[in-house]
Formats: sequence, C-alpha cells, structure tokens
Amino acid sequence: MNRELLKNISFYTIILALQLLIFNQFKLFGFITPFIYLIIFVHYKTTYDKTVLLILGFLIGLIIDLSMQTYGCHTFSTITICYLRGRIEKNSFGVNANLPSAMIKDTPLFSRISFFLSLITIHSIIYYSLIFFNINLLSTIFLYAFINSITTFIIIWIISRLISNN
Amino acid sequence: MQSIINSIVKNRNLIIYLILSFITFSFLYNNSTLHFNELGKISTYLSATSSKFSSSIISYFNLRKENEKLISENLQLKKMESTYKYTQINEDTLNSINSAKVIVNSINKSKNIIIIDKGKLDSINLDTGVISSKGVVGIVKNVTNNYASIISLLNTDLRLNAILKNTSTIGSVTWDGLNTRILKLNDIPHSSTIKVGDTVVTGGMSFYFPKGIPIGKIINYDKSSLEGYYEIDVEIFNDFSSLSNLYILNRTDNNEIQSLLNE
Repeated sequence: MNRELLKNISFYTIILALQLLIFNQFKLFGFITPFIYLIIFVHYKTTYDKTVLLILGFLIGLIIDLSMQTYGCHTFSTITICYLRGRIEKNSFGVNANLPSAMIKDTPLFSRISFFLSLITIHSIIYYSLIFFNINLLSTIFLYAFINSITTFIIIWIISRLISNN
Repeated sequence: MQSIINSIVKNRNLIIYLILSFITFSFLYNNSTLHFNELGKISTYLSATSSKFSSSIISYFNLRKENEKLISENLQLKKMESTYKYTQINEDTLNSINSAKVIVNSINKSKNIIIIDKGKLDSINLDTGVISSKGVVGIVKNVTNNYASIISLLNTDLRLNAILKNTSTIGSVTWDGLNTRILKLNDIPHSSTIKVGDTVVTGGMSFYFPKGIPIGKIINYDKSSLEGYYEIDVEIFNDFSSLSNLYILNRTDNNEIQSLLNE
C-alpha cells in the first residue's frame, strides 16, 4: 500500500468522521446541515480513475445515508456529481482540466469557485429534490438547496485553504 | 462481439452509474414510505399511459373485427325492430334480414344502381327491399351467385308506395333526377293536412317493404297545382353518397302475393 493511498484513506476517514460526529448535529436555521464530505469529491485528483470515484461516491453516500436515515438520497446525489465531475471540470477549468496539478493550486480563483459551487449546488438540488419528492414544493427545494450550498461552500472553501496551506 | 465489449468498456462509467442509481432507488423505494408512495404513483401513471397507448394501437388494428361485430349486432336489432315495430308483418313473413356491403354505388346518373357483395349463395332474392340504418335504400333487381344489384331511390324508374307517418295519407315517392337529397312525394290530395317536417315512411302496400320504414321528411310543398294534388319535396334520410352497410329484407310471402296478382 503506497503512501498516497494511505494518505487519501486517512483524509476520507477524517472527513467522514467530521461529517458524522460534528456536522450532522449542526442545524443552521433548524434545517441546514453542511455536507462537508463533498470535499472528498472536490479534491479527488483528475488523474485518478473515474470509475473508482463512482464506487467511492456510492460507498460514502451510503454511509451518510445510513447515519442520517435518508434512505439513498445522499447516495444518488453523490454518485450523480461523481458521474458529472468530468464535465464540471471541463466547464470550470476549460483546457487546463486534464493537467494533473490544475485542480486547486495555480488555477484562476473564478474557475475554482465555479467548480466548487457547481458540484455542491448540483448535489444539494438533487438531494433536496429527493428529500421533498414533490413538484409542488419546487420553491422550497431551491431555497433549501441555495442556503445549503452557500453554507457548505463556505465551510469546504475554508477547509480547502487550510489543507493547501499545510 | 469485440465492438460490443469495446462499447461496454468505453461506457463503463455510465453503466456503473445506472446500476448504482438503480440500487439507490431500490433502497429508497423499499425503505422510505414517501418515496414508495410517490414512486408508486409515477409507476401507476406510466403503466396506465403506456397501456392506453398500446391499447389504442391494438384497438385500431381490431377496428375491422369490431365493425363486423357491430354490424352483426345491428342485424339482430333490425330483426327485433321488424318483429315489434312493423306490426302487420310477422316474424314468419319477414323471415330473415341479410347484411351486405356496398361495392359499387352511383349517384350521378338518372338511373342509379348499387351493387352489393352478397348474392344467391347468401340467400338474396330478386324484388326484395333494401334498407340502411337510416331508412329505405332501394330494391334488389338482379342477383348473381355472389353479387346483387339494387335500384336505388335515386333512380327515375322507381316508384315506391309511401304514406305520411302522422296522417296515413297514401302517396308514392319518385326521384326527378335532379337533386340527390330530394325526392318527390306524389298523389297527396289537397284535402290532406301536411306540414313541413312531416315524416314520410313506406306504406306497406308493396312486396318490397313492410309499413313504416323511414324514407325522408317534407321540406317544401306547393298547393298551387290545378290537379288537386300537392307538389311535395321530401328530403331523404339516407346520404346515398356514403352508403356502406345495407340490410336486405327477405319476405317469404312474395311469391304467394305474386301468384295471386297473376291469376
């Protein structure tokens, strides 16, 4: 087992523990729970295999669902952003998307914000659509998704800055 | 085979995504009451829509069969109607009604004929009345083994015994060869009371038709004739340009009546 894999597994475990033990208890305005585990999919390197990302998304989503009793809403949202990640990368980073070091460091700020927000927003919209599962509650779904995306984005951005500084 | 494998490998992420999505939705469906109910509604809607679509296609291809079934039912109803409505003809004299399809129909001549797809082999006899669901059509004049020709009401040679339904005044209808919707009702004296809208039906005083089969309704009449008879225009109930299914009234007593007349 190489060093990079160990490092990644440790990172995923810490993030999952943070989500399950701390952020799942966090209820901003009574309903907002930041999904900081999305940082795993944000920081997944572009050179890594996309199929592994899908399986990883499924497993992490399943663990979150089991802990939050959301019956698959997280899993579906997570595998969807994992599947769409390649396209989101291209939209956000353009020609630099395939460069190995292009992800966090040395990329334009706007591209990074766009990439983070796209992943988080798509996830939130799918998640709340499945949670409410009612077309009549479309405005509520978008309101919740919007507030949740902003909160999650701020927290993930801060954690990302901390990681990159270290 | 190699290209299939290549295609699967190339689209493996999509395939895995679809499989995982299916697993996730199964999980949702089986564990969440909300999703179970909502997905159940969607499933019901989709299955009902697809069933409706497929049944409309199937029913389109079954139209011919359905049409034949309806004709058969109509035939039965006509028999019952004959028995109960045309009271002076009992079931023995009007022993059978055959249905037939029109294969040739002319309306643009002065002596129009109709040819039907039934003949001697189907028990179609000469000099029998032919009606449609709306009323009188004509009289069978020639019969071969498989076909029969009918002198239609739109034939200047045909004169048919008729009465006014309300007053029972006896007359006869003919066609003047001009308008395919209008017949002339003759021999109605000025002493009779008539009005526009009165129904003209068969009089029953012929071999061909029992009493009371609809022919048309009065749309115009003129009392100015010096001969003492009205000139009456009758609008035919049947649209001769769109005839398709006809019924042939077979009477058993035609020969008997004919022999009396010949004596």
